[in-house]
Amino acid sequence: MTPDSEKACFKALVALQNRDYATASSYFKMAQNLVAKNADLRILSEATEILLAVKDELRELEMVKES
Amino acid sequence: MSRLETLKKLESTLESFISRAVSAEASRLDTARSLDTLDEIARESLRGRYINNRLARWMSESRKFLDNGRFNGDILSRIGSLFADIQSGLDMADPESRKLHGEIEGWKMAGAVPKRKLVLKAPATAPSSDLLDLYLQYLKNEYEYVANEKERQGHILTILDDVLKSAEAKIDPMYIHLAGSLIYFMKNRGYKVTPFVKRLKDIERLKLGREDDA
Repeated sequence: MTPDSEKACFKALVALQNRDYATASSYFKMAQNLVAKNADLRILSEATEILLAVKDELRELEMVKES
Repeated sequence: MSRLETLKKLESTLESFISRAVSAEASRLDTARSLDTLDEIARESLRGRYINNRLARWMSESRKFLDNGRFNGDILSRIGSLFADIQSGLDMADPESRKLHGEIEGWKMAGAVPKRKLVLKAPATAPSSDLLDLYLQYLKNEYEYVANEKERQGHILTILDDVLKSAEAKIDPMYIHLAGSLIYFMKNRGYKVTPFVKRLKDIERLKLGREDDA
């Protein structure tokens, strides 16, 4: 059987392909151990986290702007 | 540039970076997707579920990766291992399953064989120690199986039902042992286990030729 961490990494990449960043982030977290060992995956996982933080910040700024 | 504009620029730069990085992995992603699907089919098969249609579809869709060499050595050996799991559950009395079995043999000829494992043979030990090792191995395999199922299904009754289906469909006697252990555990906690005991006894009779009580 394929280890669950590998399956989670694959699902994270598919989620990124579909631009579903929140789902990708969850799968990367499930595959923590594998991500820590692979530089490419680590960069993608960290870029996803930064992007989600940026999106949160943008949402807040836009809400402030609207009010 | 305002804070909002800076963040929007950062957002678009990161999205573009991620998209390009994932596109660079696209071909690997296709083969990984295919392997993941076969893994799901093997898991379903180990639970005793009917997988013939999905397996036939997988073979027809993935054949191109075999023909154009996209399935490399490592992937092929993993496919070989998954095929071994699947083959053990195919009902050879069924013509459709026999056909799939033949197709799997074709894939094996094309290189889809599990990696050879290095087996270190230890000097013979006393039979009681062998038996204890075997029991410990059962417990270890059963623990891994139940922990994996807990992630997927969460309820002991659902897990027991799947274990009994596997016990019926598979050659591995671990499932019979695990079913017995789960039933005994539940009985001690006041569950009504009679229907499960009956199913297990029927399976034992079929697989082990036993008539005795558990």
